[in-house]
Amino acid sequence: MRKQEDADKAILMMGFARLSVLGMSIALGVVCALFIFLVTAILLLNADPGDPYVGFNLKSLWIFIPGYSVSWLGGLIGAAMGGLVGIVLGFSIAVLWNLTHYVYIGLVVIRALWWRMMAD
Amino acid sequence: MNDQNKLNDSRIDNDLIHATVKLNTLLFACVLACIFGIGLFSLTYISMYRTPEGYHNFLNLLGVFLPGYTVSASGAWIGLLWGALVGAITGIVIYRIYARSIYSQVLNFLESPDMKESDIDRVTLKIEGHPLGIALGSFVAISLILSTNLLVIRGAAENSHHAGLLSHYLPGYSVSFMGSIIGAVELFIFTYILCQILSCVYNGVVSFSEGRNK
Repeated sequence: MRKQEDADKAILMMGFARLSVLGMSIALGVVCALFIFLVTAILLLNADPGDPYVGFNLKSLWIFIPGYSVSWLGGLIGAAMGGLVGIVLGFSIAVLWNLTHYVYIGLVVIRALWWRMMAD
Repeated sequence: MNDQNKLNDSRIDNDLIHATVKLNTLLFACVLACIFGIGLFSLTYISMYRTPEGYHNFLNLLGVFLPGYTVSASGAWIGLLWGALVGAITGIVIYRIYARSIYSQVLNFLESPDMKESDIDRVTLKIEGHPLGIALGSFVAISLILSTNLLVIRGAAENSHHAGLLSHYLPGYSVSFMGSIIGAVELFIFTYILCQILSCVYNGVVSFSEGRNK
């Protein structure tokens, strides 16, 4: 049976665990690519081509994703570019998450040293 | 072991867990505030420079929900503030719901006989798909209900052709109270599945990296 100190240590390590930058980049890349491909494919399979509003907003994604269109080829291009966007997004989230924790720990250490110095 | 037993485990310091969750909620809110704020700011500028003259700029539709926002230089700054606010709220809600799984994660560690103490010294966060799916799924579902009913309350339901297009992805959805509930349930399921995929890929990469480093 593990003790109280183990539990405290586990809580702190889980609270301050780092996010894997590689893992987050790949995972969000996959999810974003899949998402763009799915929304394009669902529209291609379901929508009524005569409806003037269909694809009206989705096709505007070409502004952000060069080469994108509401077509099967466009969906693949969108998935590739969306994957790239997801990688950048995942990278940013993981780096910012880890960085904010390092900054917080750094501030706590500096504050502790400051108070120790003042006490001396 | 049920939730009550988890909370009553004498080895787990509830105050320490609350303090850790509070800190991480704040940090996650800061991270998402940065990402959403800078993201909307960048999208606005890209949209401004890449949209041909006379072409409908669909980002302007966000102005319905974010007062003052337009695709313009000043609108980008307003978008930065709105993005930061929405990101912070998103971060708080998602992490608070996700954090409910921390008790069970700590208990799993305490009751895992094959885990050594040295394992937690170099711990990399593992993402639990189920609580993340519940958290993100609930958030987007509630957002859909709120935004749809905002349109209904404003009396703009009849003219909300763009919002109505969601029915292609969420069968049964319409700009009405009942339609928003049906859409929210479907959106919850869709988001939950995406979260499970995210956690599977992420945890797979982390396990692979740890296996190579051992």
